[in-house]
Amino acid sequence: MRSLTNFAPSTFEDRGAAVAFTTPVLAQTRVRKDSREQLEVLVPNLSEGRGVYVVPWKSLPLAFPMTVHDRMLHDLIAKGEGCSPDDIRKATLEAARCGLAGPDAVAAAEAALRDDDEQRLLINYQLIVEALKAVGLESTEILRAGLASAEGQRLTRDLMSKAAHSLGLEPTELYSRIAELAAYVESIGLATSPKPARLRRLMRDLQGFRDSMTDWATDNVSEAAPIGGFCAEVAEHTVNHARTVMKQLDQAVASFEVLIRQWDVKRVVVRKAATRLSWLLDGWEYLIALWADAVAKSRHEQDLTVHEIFRVIPLLPKNEGQGDQASAADALMQNNRRSVRAYVDWRSGQLDVDLVMRIETIKGKAA
Amino acid sequence: MEIRDLLALGDQLLHIDEPKFRQIVQLLEQMGDHPDIQRTIAVLRPRMAELRINRRPTLKRLFCDPFEDLFETFGKSEPAPLSVIERSLMNSLWSMVEAQIGKDRLKGYRGALQEGPQQKAATEAFWAETAAVVADIAAEMQAGRVAEAFRLRVTPDRVRAVADIATILSIAPDIRDLKAVLSPKPVTKLHQDHLDGIQDIARRIARGRPDALKIFILVAASRLSEPAVLLGGLWDMDLGRADRAALFMDLSGTVMAQIEGRSRSLKGGPGAAPDRLAVADLAVDLVASLDATRDAMERSRNKSFDQRLKEVRGSVHEMVRTQVLQGADGGIVTALDGLGDGTGDRAQMAQAENQARALRKCATIADQLGLRGELKAVTQKTTATLTDKARAALGRGPAGPASRTGYTAIRMIELIAGSAEANKVMDEILGGGRR
Repeated sequence: MRSLTNFAPSTFEDRGAAVAFTTPVLAQTRVRKDSREQLEVLVPNLSEGRGVYVVPWKSLPLAFPMTVHDRMLHDLIAKGEGCSPDDIRKATLEAARCGLAGPDAVAAAEAALRDDDEQRLLINYQLIVEALKAVGLESTEILRAGLASAEGQRLTRDLMSKAAHSLGLEPTELYSRIAELAAYVESIGLATSPKPARLRRLMRDLQGFRDSMTDWATDNVSEAAPIGGFCAEVAEHTVNHARTVMKQLDQAVASFEVLIRQWDVKRVVVRKAATRLSWLLDGWEYLIALWADAVAKSRHEQDLTVHEIFRVIPLLPKNEGQGDQASAADALMQNNRRSVRAYVDWRSGQLDVDLVMRIETIKGKAA
Repeated sequence: MEIRDLLALGDQLLHIDEPKFRQIVQLLEQMGDHPDIQRTIAVLRPRMAELRINRRPTLKRLFCDPFEDLFETFGKSEPAPLSVIERSLMNSLWSMVEAQIGKDRLKGYRGALQEGPQQKAATEAFWAETAAVVADIAAEMQAGRVAEAFRLRVTPDRVRAVADIATILSIAPDIRDLKAVLSPKPVTKLHQDHLDGIQDIARRIARGRPDALKIFILVAASRLSEPAVLLGGLWDMDLGRADRAALFMDLSGTVMAQIEGRSRSLKGGPGAAPDRLAVADLAVDLVASLDATRDAMERSRNKSFDQRLKEVRGSVHEMVRTQVLQGADGGIVTALDGLGDGTGDRAQMAQAENQARALRKCATIADQLGLRGELKAVTQKTTATLTDKARAALGRGPAGPASRTGYTAIRMIELIAGSAEANKVMDEILGGGRR
């Protein structure tokens, strides 16, 4: 069983960020930077052996036949500035939006981008409300006038000036701190938000995945059951870690006045927590959607899906205090060897179009 | 939950998660034989079959066990058995069997439903008795006397099906052994151990019940993903005293009739737009069946089916030509135009993608059908039109207003001609400043 699990990274950066390729053999492989700051990709061993292939990013299209969508995504990531989960997501949505992965991927990417815009607006408004509340000012007037209206914006400016004054800051400084904070927590949202943001939703879905996988693996006699149990365990550890980080972040934002006043110190805490959260949950959207799709299918397909999830499951890096996950995965693999799953049509070596389209569908659901 | 609420959910129940689905099936089973419940179970049956839910053992289920592989299939993707038994026929027949044996006597067979040392003997006794009862019913039907309890219209097919059930029940223990040999269903590739297992049982049947041999082979074939594959194996089997040649011819006739029936099944009605991908899938399956049958015929040096094989091949050729190749480029290009002027929708685009995939699928069988040239011409013409569209749309740069149409055209090329070709076109259009 080839798997990314037989490689034990120390940090999230070593582990790399998952890339939503539609070429089956490359689906959810990870990209990271090497010691010379060049991009490289980690591909699970193709011959069922141990270890992973580390391929320079530039050479990837030469090493593997890729779909046109993946070539485009490959180019976008190469041209981008970084390879954090947020950078990869941005490139993924841009690639999906152009239509190379089909009409459903376009619709899913556009919906995700709309959701991002809504969240951005919401978080900005909520942070302004928090700022006003921190100095004892009411924000209902703004809401009544309408946030986007000229009157609403005038009211906001006035009240924010008063708030800045109370906090002993220049209004522009207060605005810039709020804007920076909004950028950090944009994908997480506030705990009090009426509409949970993407990573909060993802964490909830991950809990659902853990429960569903645990139920499935319990009392199941198939050879995939211990693998499913392991996947549930990894999800459990990830959820626990994410919950702790989310709590830190929520606490920091809840003490809003302290956060703004001690901005130089607290911004580092918030930024680190937000970054860590996005790394922790990176790669799970696709796996959750893959499992949700398999739940209503036959036992055999569920077994195959569990193997597929295991192949690319995001293990916690050693530095996150879960150093045993990689060796546990290794032991599991030794005990559960199974045959290679073909990703290409063996007669022609061409990509299996049906499999590519299945990945596109799952990817659309995960966007 | 009230039964009414449950029934109102109907086919939504097909999409709930597995543990809940199993609970609901259990709940429905406990509610008895009410027609509404039977209807709901009928809706759920495809998924129940897929999940292989272990149903509560009943005598009716035990009665069906030997011939369940011949029940009509749920979806087009599964191959139909070579000899089909309707579920409604079985329901009707079971009521008659139940009435004739009598409830009290049937109670005596309860041991067949419980695990233990008595189970095997009780099961075999039950099958033997039901076989005798069904054989009587079949004889009456063949003589033109039909009991009122048989609530269906009597047709030659149904008379044949009842006789088949009687025969299968009479060799039920052998069928049980066959199921053990050919498991799990469907068997995708016949290995030597499968063939040896079938041969041993078939020889046993040939000694005791030679008339049951054909239906036994039909049951065996229905457990394969491609029933025609058994034909090849059958020719090499030593079936003892049985007339292998006659059996082979008989079975070949059945296989041919089924292939012919399937080849007629998707002949589009006038005005109806064919589902091109479904036609392509069917064509690929039919060509596989034809090849397996032809191989078997060649091994047996039998030429009597040559003409029919040729005719079916001709009809598949025609089906692919008229329903997949003809006008393929039009549908795909129209969908692209709709994208440009904003009139297109996702359904239209999905249909165009299916057309493109159908073309690609047919590339695997074009040689066998003698359609290579025609397919190549259609593919080249469509690819050329799409390349022009992509060039026009992306010529002003990858972020231009029509870029979506351009990229979609390239995706269509990918679906038709593969990623390598599509990447080549993309590189040509966008040149050095790719994407």
